[in-house]
Amino acid sequence: MPLSRIGSGLTVTGSLETDGELHVHGKVQGSLCADRLVLAMDGEVEGDIVAREARICGRVNGRVFALNVTVDSTADIKGRIFHHTVEVARGARVDARMPWRPLNFFETLEQIPETQP
Amino acid sequence: MTMFSRNDKTPEPAPAAKPVASATPINTVPPASQSAPAPMEPRRVSAAPAAHGTPSVSVISKALKITGQLESTEDIHIEGEVDGDIRGVGVKIGHNARVKGTVYGEEVEVAGTVVGKVEARKVVIASTGHMSGDVVHQDIRIDSGAYIDGHCRPEYGKPDGKAHAIQKPATPTAATNYSSAKPAEPARSIA
Repeated sequence: MPLSRIGSGLTVTGSLETDGELHVHGKVQGSLCADRLVLAMDGEVEGDIVAREARICGRVNGRVFALNVTVDSTADIKGRIFHHTVEVARGARVDARMPWRPLNFFETLEQIPETQP
Repeated sequence: MTMFSRNDKTPEPAPAAKPVASATPINTVPPASQSAPAPMEPRRVSAAPAAHGTPSVSVISKALKITGQLESTEDIHIEGEVDGDIRGVGVKIGHNARVKGTVYGEEVEVAGTVVGKVEARKVVIASTGHMSGDVVHQDIRIDSGAYIDGHCRPEYGKPDGKAHAIQKPATPTAATNYSSAKPAEPARSIA
């Protein structure tokens, strides 16, 4: 699958959707949807992230819906992390609830559910 | 969206392999992943994953669809679909790309499809390019085979694109006002 990259100088206002891999070094205001998402250390997301696999090293203000979540030590997350498996490194700043969800929750994740803040 | 289909359960290297990978934070770009961007100087040094030699441009690959605005201080390479405006320095719209909206930049290359407007100092419409809309430029190259449906106006950098209309100012005051507004072209406004 092709790789997409949001460079550090790029700000996207809107939604991104891909079946492949997405690396975010820049800023995104809006929702992200990818098979595999890597939010780099200098990346910032204000909005929802939907992915099968998410690796977060940057800042998130919003919700994460991912089967496998890896939160790196440089991460700064505020919001919620819906996951099936999660790994959080020491040093990460996580101001978030991390609800576990069964596999079929992610399989049927056609549209992002409404949740309480 | 097919990403959460049933074949999710096929053995995935993800959870088990993660701890090993976490030693190298961001350098997850496979080395052979970027065929597209021409050699370009890395504009930023700080967090650029220079280890694998990827130039620090943005790549919107062909599987990516963006609805919204893109604003960059760097180069952007688009192979996918963008529904919205794009602002960059060097913007390359690849062969299979589709852009609906205005593309602003210093240098814009259109090898894909643009429905909208292009505003750039230097514009290249490649032979595979399909341009539906106006082009505002200072310097343009149109390759044989390119499709253009729109006006090409050499008015890039001129205020509001009304340069022709204001070439002969009615009063001297207007002339001084105007030339102060755009110091790049004093001679023309006086003539």
